[in-house]
This record gives sequence, structure tokens and C-alpha cells, in this order.
Amino acid sequence: MNEKTVETDVLCVGGGIAGLMAAIRAREVGARVVLADKANTLRSGSAGTGCDHFRAYIPEFHGPDMEPVVQEVHHSQAGWTRTREFVRTWMERSFEIVKLWDGWGIPMKYKGRWEFAGHTFPGRPFTALKYSGQNLKPILTREARKRGVEIINRMMVFDLLREGGIIGAIGVDTRADRLITFLAKSVVLGTGGCVRLYPATTPGWMFNRADSPHTTGDGRAMAYRAGAELVNMEIPMRWAGPKYFARCGKGTWVGVLRDPQDRPVGPFGKKPNRRYGDPISDSYKSLFEDYTRSGKGPVYMDCRSISPEDYQYMMYWMSHEGNTGLLGHLKEQGIDLRKNPVEFMTYEMTTRGGIYFNHQAETSLKGLYAAGDEYFGGASCAATFGWIAGENAAHHAKNIKRRTIRQWKSVEKKKAFLDEIRERETGETWEEVNIALNQTMADYAGSTRYESLLEAGTRHLQRLKKKARGNLMAKNQHELMHCLEVLNLLDIGEVIFAAVREREETRDKVARLDYPFTNPMLDGKILIFKKKGNKPVTEWREVKG
Amino acid sequence: MPPIIDKNQCIACGICVNICPQDVFFGSKRKKVPKITYPEECWHCNACVLDCPQEGAIRLRIPSPMLICHK
Repeated sequence: MNEKTVETDVLCVGGGIAGLMAAIRAREVGARVVLADKANTLRSGSAGTGCDHFRAYIPEFHGPDMEPVVQEVHHSQAGWTRTREFVRTWMERSFEIVKLWDGWGIPMKYKGRWEFAGHTFPGRPFTALKYSGQNLKPILTREARKRGVEIINRMMVFDLLREGGIIGAIGVDTRADRLITFLAKSVVLGTGGCVRLYPATTPGWMFNRADSPHTTGDGRAMAYRAGAELVNMEIPMRWAGPKYFARCGKGTWVGVLRDPQDRPVGPFGKKPNRRYGDPISDSYKSLFEDYTRSGKGPVYMDCRSISPEDYQYMMYWMSHEGNTGLLGHLKEQGIDLRKNPVEFMTYEMTTRGGIYFNHQAETSLKGLYAAGDEYFGGASCAATFGWIAGENAAHHAKNIKRRTIRQWKSVEKKKAFLDEIRERETGETWEEVNIALNQTMADYAGSTRYESLLEAGTRHLQRLKKKARGNLMAKNQHELMHCLEVLNLLDIGEVIFAAVREREETRDKVARLDYPFTNPMLDGKILIFKKKGNKPVTEWREVKG
Repeated sequence: MPPIIDKNQCIACGICVNICPQDVFFGSKRKKVPKITYPEECWHCNACVLDCPQEGAIRLRIPSPMLICHK
């Protein structure tokens, strides 16, 4: 495999909203910036073909008092898992980002006004700004290039390099036989969520997912291996949307969720309403699964009786939410949302938790920053904290001397491991390991969770991991990328098992059959998980503010 | 399995190969009609259709397990 060393001040890993915003800002502050993306920044990530909701505080719309908006976002999006200081910083900076994006050509206004709709409960403050995000990725890419960010596409960074502090990372080309060692003064992680952890909607298929299946928790896994803190990995997150075309964007639908007898399943509205949609699925995402299992399903998104104006409105926003593929399918199949209610389902689980980062986008390791869905927050959170991460990473880099590696041995070891995978002629394919992981996660750390089951699942997962490390094979660089993704997912799976076992209580969506009560001693606390030496350690930490 | 390229309309510009987030076109050659090496990895995000400069040269075929259930 060809080798190359790339030196920079700030390395951004992942070119989604967070990574690109970090790169742009770090460059503006004066740092040399390299951004590595596993795919291509033009269309990669969860917002690849669009996004239409942006949590924001807009003084002209909300008035001078920001606090009700902070409170609402804290309640609806971050819940008890994030500090109020974090949410306050997010909202304080959100308008600045909205104006920037609008200036760059991402239309943040609709028909000349600030338009708020969806993901809102009647009587509560609006927090989700509608914006036309279909081309946000090509625009952010253009802005990054304009400022001199060096973008390296098809480059999967899979491990951080650490000698005391973070000194860079190592990546592999997903198309050519090439390995790059990055030497950087600061690193910003923005690789997105962990999508291929649990079985997907369609049995045996791995790519029918609500979020982009190429986001495989790479940032979380490499941060964990480098010793950074992860947080709330035991908290499950689920999405819901049309059955069987798995896709995010339920807040864009203008309809009422109804049972087979056409009765609304939620209390929030009886007629399609463009302002609210049907927010019952925001607060109760497992509704569809629960209805089906309890003999009351299926549940339909019913847009019948929508006005012609609201129908046009919904279709416009669907195309900006990245759902043109879905719209094409509806059209081809003759499914008319004005006549045909569409069944909704609860999609598979993933983890809500991720890399712990504070309101300055700092992780627990000096020189390592994180943003975006490295710890779930959505598009606006990614944009705002990506910006903050870039700013702080660039400032940090100013005080650091040129990086050199003293221990090339660790790089050589990683390279030898990759060569083994590429040279193996018989062994395990990445698909079989990914499917094995999926079934283990669902069966042992799925919606039914208790100690003896978790213990057995942990054992099985550890065996899978050991076996995979000695047997994975890849006939080209694309498959090598998948092998590294699966190894990352296995590490994350192991952390999830350990974190679920540590939380001996039932709280909100975190249910343990053997601990069916909420433990008041854990009120206001978050579960931190990190690696010390080769051993994982946990800590319950107070969420202040 | 998607995507489907109309060889008569494709101008072999390589945009779809360049942008596909899942890299289903892995191994395609420059200035040649793209080959679809990993069709089962398509996410049906529609980026290739949106960015294709030649309307109708590429389309998605949604596989049967993804057919939307409706009334």
C-alpha cells in the first residue's frame, strides 16, 4: 500500500455539516486545514441531499427573550442529557449561522419571511426554522474550497494518533491502495451517527435505513480507542417514518396519524395542519411498534383532506428534506398522499449517546474536538458546534509546535493489520460480521434488557470481535473500508453493552426488566464511559445548569 | 436494483461516480458509462439523479421490499 504523510494545523474528520463548518471557520481564523471525507463532501452525510428543519432562535421572530426557546429546545431535543449551558450557547449562536448560510445561498427564508413549522406542540414556542436545504452540501463545499480548505475525498480516517496529546490520525483511501498519516495540531471529529449497529427494516439487508448507512460511528470508535470520554451510550434512539421505505423526515409530513378505524392516535390535531404536522411521533416514536404489537395497528399518516396549498407546501419541503427518492417512488407507484394514507413504522434502534463534548465543542482530550451527530443534535446543532469546534481547534493549534511522530511503530502495526485483511484469501466478509453484530445487538441489547441476557450478549460480541480481527478479508479498498467500519461498530457495540449494564434502573426510554424503577440517586446524572489502559472505566457525572 | 443508467443517454461525465455517498459505482472508469458494482448498497438518496446533467440518463429502481405500505 502506498504511504503518504500530510501535515496540517487542523484536521477535520468527516465532511458533513459539522466537519465543513469546522473547516471553514478554522480556515477563517488562519489555520491550515485538511478535511478528510469517507465519501465526497458534495453529497455525503445525513444531510447529503437535504434537510428542512433548523433549530434556531431568531430575534425578529421570537422577540428579545431567548429563554423560552432555550427551554423548549432543552426539553424537546436535548432532554436531561445535555446541560442548559450547551443549549443556551447553541441558541445564542444559531442566528449568526442562519445569516451566514443565507448569505452563502442556502435559502433560510420562505417567501421572504422566517417560517417555523413542524416538530412543535400546539401552544409551545416554535423552534424549528424551515429552510431550503437540498443543496446545502455543495454550497458548504464551495465555501470551504473558496477559503483554501484542502478536501481529501474517499479517505476513511479510522484511528487517531496519540503521543500524550492527539498528534493526528491515520486514514485509508477507499478507492486506491493508499494510506495517509495525518500530523495535526488539532483534530475535529464530525463523522455522524452509528447507523448499521442494529438490524435494518428489511431482514438481511443493511442499507434500508432512515439515516445514511455510511455513517458507522467511526468518530465515536476512534475517540474511545484514543481514551476520550463517551456519554449516554446506553440510551437508545429510534426514528419513525414510512413503512417500508426507511427515511427520516416525519416532521415534514402534513397529516394526522390515525388507527385503522381512522381515529387519531394522538391528542394534537384532527385535521392536517402545516404548522404542526402530527407531533405525537416526536414524543412517542415507538408508538407504531406498540400499536402493532398490542392489536391496535397499523397506524397511518393520513394526509387526506389536506388543502391544495398545504399539499404543495408539504411536497416542496419533502424535496428539501432530502426525500426526492421517496417522492419518486410514490409517483411511480401511483400512491397519492391526498388519497392514500401511508403506513408508518418505528425503525430500528441506535444509540443516542456519543462523544462527550461541551459548549466549546471540546472533548475530554486536549486538541480533540467533536460536533454534529458525534453526539446527536441534528443539523443546526451540527452547524453551530461545527463552527465553534473549528474556531477553538484553530486557536488551540496556534499554541502548538510542529507535530512529529516518535513512535512510528504504532502506524506500522496498523498498516500491517490492513495488509493482512487485504491479503487474506479465505475468511469472513464484512457483511457476515455486520449481520452477526446486528443480530447480537437486537437479541441481547435491544428493547428487552436485563443482566443475564446482557452478560451472555457481551460474551458473544467479544467472541465475534476476536474472530473478526483474525479473519476479516477484503478484495478491494471499498471492502476494506467496510471491514474497518464493522470493527468500529463492534467496539461501539461493546461499549453499549457495558453502559446498559451499568445503568441499573429504568428511566425515560431506558428500560431494564430487572430494574423496573427509576433510581433517584441517578437524577441529573449522565453516564461517562472511557478507556483507561486497556480497561473501560465508568463514571456518573452531575449535569450542572 | 438501483440505480439504472440509460447507456444511450449517459454522457459519461462521471458526476454520479464522483458524488455517490455509498460508492456503488466503485471501480468505474473515467469517460466510460459508470458500472454499478455494489447495487445492494444503494441508499436511494437520489443524489445521482439530482446532479445528473442529462435528464433521464439515470434513475432509481426501488426494490420490492421497500414498496411503501398504504391504504
